Amino acid sequence: MTTTPIMTVSDLHKTYGKAGSKQYEALKGINFNVQPGEFIGIMGASGSGKTTLLNMLATLDQPTSGEVTIHQQPITHLKGNQLADFRAKEIGFIFQDFNLLETMTAYENIALPLSLQNTPVKKIKPAVEKVAHQLGIEEFLSNYPNELSGGQKQRVAAARALINDPAILFGDEPTGALDSKSARELLDLFTKINQERAVSILLVTHDPFSASFCQRILFIKDGRIGQELKRGDLSRSDFYQQVLDNLGTFEQ
Amino acid sequence: MLTKLAMTGFKHRWRDYLVLFSGLIMSSAIFYMFEALATNQDFLKQNTSISMVGLIFQFGSVLLTIITLVYIGYANSFLLSMRKRDYGLFMLVGARKSKIGQLIWLETLLVGITATIVGILVGTALTVGVSQILINSLGLTLHHFAAWYTPAAIATLLLYVGLFLIAGLFNLLSLTKTPALKLLHSNDQPNRPQLKPARQLIEIVVGVISIAIGYWSMANLKILQLMGIGIALVTIVLGTYLLFNAIFVWLMVALKRFSFAQRGLNGFTLSQLSFRIRNYTKMLSIVAMLFALALGAITVGMGFHSQIPSMANINNAYDMGLVNASTAEKAQIAAMKPKTTATYHFKATKKVVYFQAAEFNRQPFTTIHTRNKNQLTFNTVHNNAAKLQKSEDNYQLMQLQSGVMATATPVFLSKTAYAKLAQPEQRLTVFTTNNVIEHRVALNKLAKHHFHTTSPEQFGGRYAMYLMVNGMYSGLEFMGMFLGIAFLAMLASCLMFKILSGADADQHRYKMLDKVGTTRRQLNGAINKEIAVLFILPGIVGIVHVLFGLQMFKIIMVTSPYTGIWLPFLIFAGLYLLYYLITITIYRRIVLQ
Repeated sequence: MTTTPIMTVSDLHKTYGKAGSKQYEALKGINFNVQPGEFIGIMGASGSGKTTLLNMLATLDQPTSGEVTIHQQPITHLKGNQLADFRAKEIGFIFQDFNLLETMTAYENIALPLSLQNTPVKKIKPAVEKVAHQLGIEEFLSNYPNELSGGQKQRVAAARALINDPAILFGDEPTGALDSKSARELLDLFTKINQERAVSILLVTHDPFSASFCQRILFIKDGRIGQELKRGDLSRSDFYQQVLDNLGTFEQ
Repeated sequence: MLTKLAMTGFKHRWRDYLVLFSGLIMSSAIFYMFEALATNQDFLKQNTSISMVGLIFQFGSVLLTIITLVYIGYANSFLLSMRKRDYGLFMLVGARKSKIGQLIWLETLLVGITATIVGILVGTALTVGVSQILINSLGLTLHHFAAWYTPAAIATLLLYVGLFLIAGLFNLLSLTKTPALKLLHSNDQPNRPQLKPARQLIEIVVGVISIAIGYWSMANLKILQLMGIGIALVTIVLGTYLLFNAIFVWLMVALKRFSFAQRGLNGFTLSQLSFRIRNYTKMLSIVAMLFALALGAITVGMGFHSQIPSMANINNAYDMGLVNASTAEKAQIAAMKPKTTATYHFKATKKVVYFQAAEFNRQPFTTIHTRNKNQLTFNTVHNNAAKLQKSEDNYQLMQLQSGVMATATPVFLSKTAYAKLAQPEQRLTVFTTNNVIEHRVALNKLAKHHFHTTSPEQFGGRYAMYLMVNGMYSGLEFMGMFLGIAFLAMLASCLMFKILSGADADQHRYKMLDKVGTTRRQLNGAINKEIAVLFILPGIVGIVHVLFGLQMFKIIMVTSPYTGIWLPFLIFAGLYLLYYLITITIYRRIVLQ
């Protein structure tokens, strides 16, 4: 019994530079699928192409060739209003440096995707409060980002990413700017929302600790997917050990 | 080596430098334009009959200097924030603080001097251009007007170089005293809009009282004389600043409570504004003042302009009167296609001029009877001989016959009585064209030909009156229109500069909005709305200032300064709208990719 994947990536290539000048092939044919409700990680060192890959998947950049579908919809050639609507409704994005609007409160930041989709004003407040409660940030809703800690900001960003019930949540080194305690809290949060809301999560990271929270890890090196690790029934700390061992041999 | 690095930084940021330079050049150009009039004592004395004008201009200079001070303050902080990161980097790499200090001081001064010199040249060119357009299209005569006036250039140079020396020093201290790390991370962190209701209430009350005092003193210049202008200057500027400071911040925050704030990007726009306005209060106050000055100047200028033909027309029904016109002159008259022409024969002594009653019964003479001197309203009366003899306006006939200084009286005789007189018979030809101003060139030629002078005391009629009034009011009309245009240009460049200098900071915000899923239409809409509010707020305040400020001109204008104000207001609104459209286009190009 096979379920339809929430995201498919077929033969993705990305080459930088114009024809004639020095060209650099960042992605050399990426293939994988993400099942609904899956928590998947993409690991690689700097320069491996993981950020390039993430940009393709999140519609922030276009591949040179290949196809990506999310919720059975091809996304690589979406443009204009279609693209904007897709971004607002189907995907959520959490950046390393938070990317909250400093001129708006936490509440307003979280409500932004709803406002943009012209959600009736009456429905906005309960939706924001619900997701804020789930992420444990109700007491900060009227604060501005510069009054919040890094961990709190990321949780606000997560709430904003989740408010429209997206098909998939993308994270680009979300713990990169956090201290270890906040990082752990955030990753626990991801696990919780993955299980409770059944939202698929794709995490891009170079940090083995973050990767250990995933159910499946794809290793990317020099623009290609190499190994794949499945957590299966392993405990998180055992899986973490396996990741570390793998990294050691992977680098060789 | 370091200088070379500094130069490459310059090339990278050419767009920012373009904004900076164009703002500074406009500012110094317009300051020069103003001073070209203000410092030219001969021009002021010869062109107005009002002794106050010189001092009014001095007040204006003070106001303009204050505006320049704030403007250069902004320009300087813009320059500094541009370069902070670069210079921080140099320090990190090991450049000496003293050398850095030297460089920034030099750069500030260089930017300043270059902008000022170019500005003075641009100002001169603009002065030539604008004055030519105004003189030709309005038919003005000016005395001692000089597009290049050295004291004005010197005043501009002194002020601007002085301010930039101070700015350079400030930048030097700022850079050398800040640790390198702080410079690298210098980023404008917006603060929560502080709402201290008690303080804001006081500001509002003081602001309103201040402005009320200003308005009152402008309306009562008769009592207060020059002091009134000084009081108005201080109180209105202060009041405007306090109002912007207090009311508009509160307004933006209050608007967020309404449900429309949660639709689309409205919440984002309101947030942008509530942070911006706090930052912008000084600039918005200045823009409001400049708006009022520009609109007021243009309204007054146009008011004077419309007065001139009215005052000419109320003087006499006929353009000119020629005694014993030659055939050539009659041909010149015919060429103007006059509405009416009439010829009357007369015989004159020193004190009396004898006409034939029958001629006036056949060709009635039209007189102008003034109904209301202040409104310049009148009736035209057609007179036969009997009526004309009794009319109190019959001096108008005499003016046509022997000039404005006519002292003789007219007498209308029967044909036989007239025939008995011994004096030689002469002919008086009078005529009216449809528009004195339209035919002014031909009328001028005719006057030169017949009277051998264009000195209006020597002949009478509408054209002579036009020359006199034009001479009196041309100067004021020119000043009004010229300054109006200059202030409008300065206002626009201030506002555009301030808005565009914030564009870079907005880039990453709009990128973020794009990632979260905003349509182009929503983004453009947000930009349009935000900038529209920044244009409209000072506009409204400026209009209110003008409506009250026109009170000041009651004492030097014959008609009410409010007559027909819809026209200059409309023109001004059109130009303001144009500036708005230009600003949003440039802003969009900088901020959206």
